[in-house]
Amino acid sequence: MNQMANPETVKPVRSMNAGLFDGQEREFLAIEDEEIAITVESLDLYYGNSQALKKVNMLIPKKRVTAFIGPSGCGKSTLLRCFNRMNDLVDGCRVEGSINLHGENIFAKGVDVAELRRRIGMVFQKPNPFPKSIYENVAYGLRLQGVKDKAVLDEVVERSLKNVALWTEVKDRLDTNALGLSGGQQQRLVIARAIAIEPEVLLLDEPTSALDPISTSKIEELVEELKNQYTVIIVTHTMQQAARISDFTAYMYLGELIEFDDTKKLFVSPANQATEDYITGRYG
Amino acid sequence: MAAISPDSVQTSRSLLPSVEKREKLRKTRKFRDGLSLYGVGAGGLGVIFALALIFVYLFYETMPLLKPVSMEVSTTYAVPGEMPVTPTMHLTLDRFEEIGGRFSESGVITFFNARNGAILSRIELPIPEGERVTSFGRSESRKSLFVYGFSDGSVLPVKVDYEITFPDGVRRVTPRLSFPLGAEPTGIGGKEGAQYSALEIVDGRGGYVIAAGTVAGDIAMALYSTTTSMLTGTVEIRRQDFNLPNLGAPVSQLLVNESLRNLFAIDATGTLHHFDIVDRSRPVLVEKVALVPSGVEFRVAEFLVGSRSLIVGGSDGSLTQWILVRNDDTGQSNLTQIRAFKPHNAPITFIEPEHSRKGFIAGDASGTVGIHYATSSVSLKFLSVADTPINRLAISPINRVALVETVDAEALTVLAIDNPHPQTSLSGLWGKVWYEGRDAPAFIWQSSSADDAFESKLSLVPLSIGTLKAAFFAMLLATPLAIMGAIYTAYFMSTPMRKIVKPSIELMEALPTVILGFLAGIWLAPYIENNLPILVIGAVLIPAGVLVWGYLWSRMPANIRNSVSAGWEAAMLVPVIIVLGWVTVSMSPWVEFWFFDGSMRQWLTDVGIPYDQRNALIVGMAMGFAVIPTIFSIAEDAVFNVPKHLTQGSLALGATPWQTVIGVVLLTASPGIFSAVMIGFGRAVGETMIVLMASGNSPIVNFNIFEGMRTLAANIAVELPETAVGSTHFRVLFLSALVLLAFTFVLNTAAEVVRQRLRKRYASL
Repeated sequence: MNQMANPETVKPVRSMNAGLFDGQEREFLAIEDEEIAITVESLDLYYGNSQALKKVNMLIPKKRVTAFIGPSGCGKSTLLRCFNRMNDLVDGCRVEGSINLHGENIFAKGVDVAELRRRIGMVFQKPNPFPKSIYENVAYGLRLQGVKDKAVLDEVVERSLKNVALWTEVKDRLDTNALGLSGGQQQRLVIARAIAIEPEVLLLDEPTSALDPISTSKIEELVEELKNQYTVIIVTHTMQQAARISDFTAYMYLGELIEFDDTKKLFVSPANQATEDYITGRYG
Repeated sequence: MAAISPDSVQTSRSLLPSVEKREKLRKTRKFRDGLSLYGVGAGGLGVIFALALIFVYLFYETMPLLKPVSMEVSTTYAVPGEMPVTPTMHLTLDRFEEIGGRFSESGVITFFNARNGAILSRIELPIPEGERVTSFGRSESRKSLFVYGFSDGSVLPVKVDYEITFPDGVRRVTPRLSFPLGAEPTGIGGKEGAQYSALEIVDGRGGYVIAAGTVAGDIAMALYSTTTSMLTGTVEIRRQDFNLPNLGAPVSQLLVNESLRNLFAIDATGTLHHFDIVDRSRPVLVEKVALVPSGVEFRVAEFLVGSRSLIVGGSDGSLTQWILVRNDDTGQSNLTQIRAFKPHNAPITFIEPEHSRKGFIAGDASGTVGIHYATSSVSLKFLSVADTPINRLAISPINRVALVETVDAEALTVLAIDNPHPQTSLSGLWGKVWYEGRDAPAFIWQSSSADDAFESKLSLVPLSIGTLKAAFFAMLLATPLAIMGAIYTAYFMSTPMRKIVKPSIELMEALPTVILGFLAGIWLAPYIENNLPILVIGAVLIPAGVLVWGYLWSRMPANIRNSVSAGWEAAMLVPVIIVLGWVTVSMSPWVEFWFFDGSMRQWLTDVGIPYDQRNALIVGMAMGFAVIPTIFSIAEDAVFNVPKHLTQGSLALGATPWQTVIGVVLLTASPGIFSAVMIGFGRAVGETMIVLMASGNSPIVNFNIFEGMRTLAANIAVELPETAVGSTHFRVLFLSALVLLAFTFVLNTAAEVVRQRLRKRYASL
């Protein structure tokens, strides 16, 4: 903790790791700077007078799946929404601290929020396709970027839908309304829409909580695929899902990051008693 | 385990009310549920039923317009009159349809009971010694004025009046014969002893005119002016004689119109000689018109009531209507055929105009009687009465009974006619109609005038166009303002400001429209007329000023901009707009002075744009103001209710707020916005008070923003209290109410159908 108080002397990542894990030697500590996509430093978030996030420090590794778990109201979704500044839309929301995406503070003045959100895609809990055709849903983000060339749009739509394994199901009805798809298909469509604009990070906010088990397994397979190209952060309320698909897991409780570690280690031998209580079902 | 303590026994005891009480409660609950269910249901059904009743009532009042005309023989009886019977010169009927009159060639006038032919009275005219009746002429039917011509060239005008008395409380109608120019036959100039082949009498402005034509083609005309001495009460009659040029062919019919301006002399070949007799001492032959095509013989011509149009019957059974149409190049009025009726199958033998409207009945040589109506250009009914040619026809002043006499017949046939609304044909209501006195067919609404012989013009087109025009200009103003305001309020405005703005705009709806109409008509209309440049300057300056302000604001230092919290930027516009408005008003006189020669109103007239003080612009502003809250409120709800996960989804894809509005919010809110606009349009179509007070109510057919209009709703409000219950006008007003209802019904149904479809499409949102 003393090192934390004196960050100039140590590289931030090191100091955070030290702070998080109380200096315990772990393989995780060996993570290199260039493998880090996002660092969160001393992040406080307030909704009006109540504090929702308390001094969160963490790092998100590149091209890995990082899962946030914890009981309802622990702040895991709030933290997720900080990464693309969706919390800006909430009245009375105030943030202190910093989040660095590839070394740039996303809260700095002059940051183009729209461009930030292009770089950090997001998929919501409930599938939210627009009331447009399947094609137009996927092309939406590109059109926002000023792409008008039909050939480019066609190619991106096909590639994105193939990437989410939806192409064969919908290729004959690209012009039909996206709202006619099933929930699972809609969620994959929304993921296709998000990756169509080539983001660096993909935020998934409980993407399977509204889906049936088969659709859920498809999405989970998809996440496995996606981590080859994107840094994925997923909020989930099922520990099994986190254990199945994530490489790293963060356990949060009451706005604090309790433990952050390699998923296997966290589930097999958690360092913190609270984490153990949660994953063994004594809590939650 | 410890023994159960008394305490725990007590707590496990049921604290619910007893079984009986609960049973009773269940029953009352069930009763209440049922009561509310059926009560609400009955209320809802009652509303639907009441609405249906309105429809039913409107239909009920309108239906008689569609009722087919009926005409049937009610009775026949022997021709009443002197013995032996001499040919009938004319037949009449009184307005109670009780008394018929028969003018015979022997100079005997017989009045008889029109229902059974029983003779009531018989009057013999004082025919000069040794002379006989050679000709007969009549004025318009409603004047009951006739003239006999005798073989010595003298004439005797007679007039029939009906005296109504109520002895013992029972109505009794007594026919009276009078002699307006004295009981002695009088000469009318011309050649002494001429025998007339055509005779005409008119009770016109300035006195009686009698015109007479001979087989030789000569026409004599006399004007009788009567003056009654104030002191003695004696009537003095003065006569002036005029001669017209010889026609060169036997005169078969003479017609002089009521204004005593035109004399139509028709010769045996069917050529009409049109004389201008304004200056009677010097009659001018204006034109010669062939009334029938070659190969067809002219048979008979009669004026319709008001003597403005002429119905001509030919030997081919054709019936045509002719009116004087003014030629703008020559300044003359020429007799022009404006329509043809469905022809009879045999030569026309007699035409009898109706007394109070522009219809007539015609008889032909095959014994068929036809009912025709001029304005609506329809032939309503044909009835074969006999096998022999029709000789004479009479129709009662209220058009319900007709008398028919055929050639050589010894019996009169009485026809019962039911034809209350001949004017309302589809083409008469919705098509262009060539009305009397007009130079071209037109859409005109002019339901009444002070003149009995007025041709009412009941085209629903000017009213429907007016309704759409008023609604269009109101929507032109209201739609963009209301929708853009709604989007800003719902999507960009901060919550506290929205909580003030939204109810304030909705409160505007509570403003009585009569006040809006009053302000628009009394204050706004004259103000705008006197300060027209305001419109031009305002339309340029205010939007441009707002944009410039927006640009300047975005360039201001951050500390100034941050002093206004997010979503309150709109409030900063209020003083800007007030200043711009003030600049606009104060610039007006200067702009008017420099660019419009000191008066823009005059300038508009000079460039050929008609300007009414109360016009579509004023109505558009006032009614737009009234419609804005309706559109705003519904559209604002629609935009506000766009699911947050959609807007967030768009923003998360890197869209700016404005891109999100265009790409997602408007698309998703489109059903609501659409129905907002439709409901606003429906309101504008049905709005009454504003258009009534601010539109000028002139039923014109155009879309000029600087001219007024008359809408269906305003027209009903103005005319329904003053129309005769049950009249054609009354029923057409109900029809226009149905049209209005259909307008709003179709609009709202279309809006609802579209909305349901879109809603279904977005149901899974």
